[in-house]
Amino acid sequence: MVGAEQNRLLQWMIVYGLKPCAIAGSFVVVALLWTFPLQHVIAYPFVFLFFGAIMGSAWFGGIIAGFIAVALSSVIVTYFFVPPLYSMYVAKESQSFFAAFILCSIAITVVSSSRKRAENAIRTARDELETKVQERTAELQRSTLEIKESERQQRMLTEAIPQQIWRTDAGGSIEYCNHHLCIYLGQRSEELQGEAFFNVIHPEDNPLFRKGWQAALRSGDRFEIEARVRSADGGYRWFLVRSIPQRREDGQIARWYGIHIDIEQQHRAQQNLVQAQDDLARMQRSFSMAEMAASIAHELNQPLTSLVTHAYACREWLQAKPANIEKASATAEKIIQESTRASVVVRRVRALFQKEEQVRELTSMNRLIQELARLLRDEAIRKDVSIRLLLAHDLPQLELDPVQIQQVILNLALNGMDALMQVAKPRELIIRTEKRGVGEILVAVEDHGPGIAPETAARMFEPFFSTKPQGTGMGLAICRGIIEAHDGKIWAENSVRGGATLQFTMRTQS
Amino acid sequence: MTEKPDTSRDERETVFIVDDDESIREGVSNLLEAVGINAKCYATAEGFCAHWSDAKAGCLLLDARLPGISGVEFQERLRTSGARIPVIFMTAHGDIPMVRKVMKAGAVEFLTKPFQREELLHAVEQAFASDRARRTEKAILDSIRARIDSLSPREQEVMAMVIAGFTNKDIAERLHLSIVTIKLHRGQVMRKMQADSLADLVKMSERISPARSAGNGVL
Repeated sequence: MVGAEQNRLLQWMIVYGLKPCAIAGSFVVVALLWTFPLQHVIAYPFVFLFFGAIMGSAWFGGIIAGFIAVALSSVIVTYFFVPPLYSMYVAKESQSFFAAFILCSIAITVVSSSRKRAENAIRTARDELETKVQERTAELQRSTLEIKESERQQRMLTEAIPQQIWRTDAGGSIEYCNHHLCIYLGQRSEELQGEAFFNVIHPEDNPLFRKGWQAALRSGDRFEIEARVRSADGGYRWFLVRSIPQRREDGQIARWYGIHIDIEQQHRAQQNLVQAQDDLARMQRSFSMAEMAASIAHELNQPLTSLVTHAYACREWLQAKPANIEKASATAEKIIQESTRASVVVRRVRALFQKEEQVRELTSMNRLIQELARLLRDEAIRKDVSIRLLLAHDLPQLELDPVQIQQVILNLALNGMDALMQVAKPRELIIRTEKRGVGEILVAVEDHGPGIAPETAARMFEPFFSTKPQGTGMGLAICRGIIEAHDGKIWAENSVRGGATLQFTMRTQS
Repeated sequence: MTEKPDTSRDERETVFIVDDDESIREGVSNLLEAVGINAKCYATAEGFCAHWSDAKAGCLLLDARLPGISGVEFQERLRTSGARIPVIFMTAHGDIPMVRKVMKAGAVEFLTKPFQREELLHAVEQAFASDRARRTEKAILDSIRARIDSLSPREQEVMAMVIAGFTNKDIAERLHLSIVTIKLHRGQVMRKMQADSLADLVKMSERISPARSAGNGVL
């Protein structure tokens, strides 16, 4: 410790004692040596030379060296150049000059040393700055490398994912497509700018896709759609296209990331299922046709009977003496009406057999049910069930497939009648319609049979679920399929009065 | 015995049509009207019952399938209530058990819709004839009953014993009366009953009560 203390003291002495003394001494000696020869050239050269020496000492040695130089110079000047020469005495007339010399010397020391300090400070600051800049540059280079590396890894990742991935800017124009997407489309990402982006979508899906995408761009919501995308060989496959926006810190959208998931397989399976359901519905319809044939015959025979009797009556009126023209023409009018009624029956029967793509007709639900009730009449009589219709009068018309919806109500009604067969007479099946909330109507088929067991209620609309020994378990599942295709809901519940209520709702078109 | 014309024949014979389908009612009534037969239409069996009495002449043209009481049930109900109106059935498709059932229950005819003019008119004619016979028979019976009612209790007693085959002497002994008195009563019975002979009297008695006529003789 003592050694270190001494060392510090020594250092301190060198810095603040020895070094300023040496610098000041050297400058002053040089100034003195130059003064003698120059004495003969200019008057009082010592003033400039010693000022110069003081300035130099203060500049290079600091304020301490400057004051030492001032002291040395004062002594030397007093001795050599201030009269009386070669003495330390200052003559009276030289005293003011000498004082001015000392003051100037001190001023020069202060100014010079402070200039030097300021310059030193600036230099230090500059040096520090430079160091920092160098450090920063190195750091930047490092992070750039890191970013490049992570980008490379990310790209490798996106290329490794089997899905097709793309990225667009905030405006929706393509910036990047991964390898899979480029291969699938047979195009590079630069070729997918603007309209080309939409051209790969199937023309049928295009309008919806375009609308959805533009809406997403406007609102900034995530975008998801199922669409067919054209491959390089010109074929189309179903894809689930999903896109989410990436936002900057200020909440603005920076870019969109998109992914195409191939759902061709699922789509095909689903279509097969829909087809199968369709076929089943038709098959089931033809099963019940046997039972319905009697009803149809009845329906057709009614107008035919009326037709025949009217026709005979018409002939009688005409053959009467005198002919009763008024009665005959009124009867002919009836014949026309009844023929129309018969042809409507025929048309409806034909409609039962026709396979059609999705049909949506503006239909009155009440009329549909009334028609169906006529078809059900025979079945109801056979099973000794009376059918009561409680139809709301102010129902709006609905866009639906009349045949399919009739099929659903028929199925529900037959189920209800089966349930009623398990209880004693009198048996009554209620078919009810009502308005429900805004833009919805409800159709309910109520029986007072044994009701639905809780474990059945949960599963009764599932395919292949049946409580009947001969049931296919498809009836209610098909009903659900049809209702859901109409954007409706179907469910069952036990009514308060006992028995089950099977009901569905359908949305009215706004 | 003389047949007297019955009192209710002045009302026109009518076909009562009961069918829930209005167009059928219209067509059939139009045809019947055109051939000069009176027709009345009802949508339900209940509606028909409300306007009909057994005294009315005519027949019933009944749809086998009706809402509420079915045609078949209604026929049964009419029969058990004692109404004897002839019934013609019609249906769009009747099965054989149904046809057998209604025919057994006494239906005149079973028409399958759509039916021809002749089928309908023939059935109606048949039904009218049967109704006429029924009504004539009923009128005769009514008159016999009226005649019996006009007898005094003693005369009714004597008549019953005469029919049972007792001689005047037997009757006098049983009733503790003289033979002359019995002969007087007997003469009154024959006159009031408008019977020409004993055989005539027996026939009349058998007509109103075929099962009991051979019994103990008390009406």
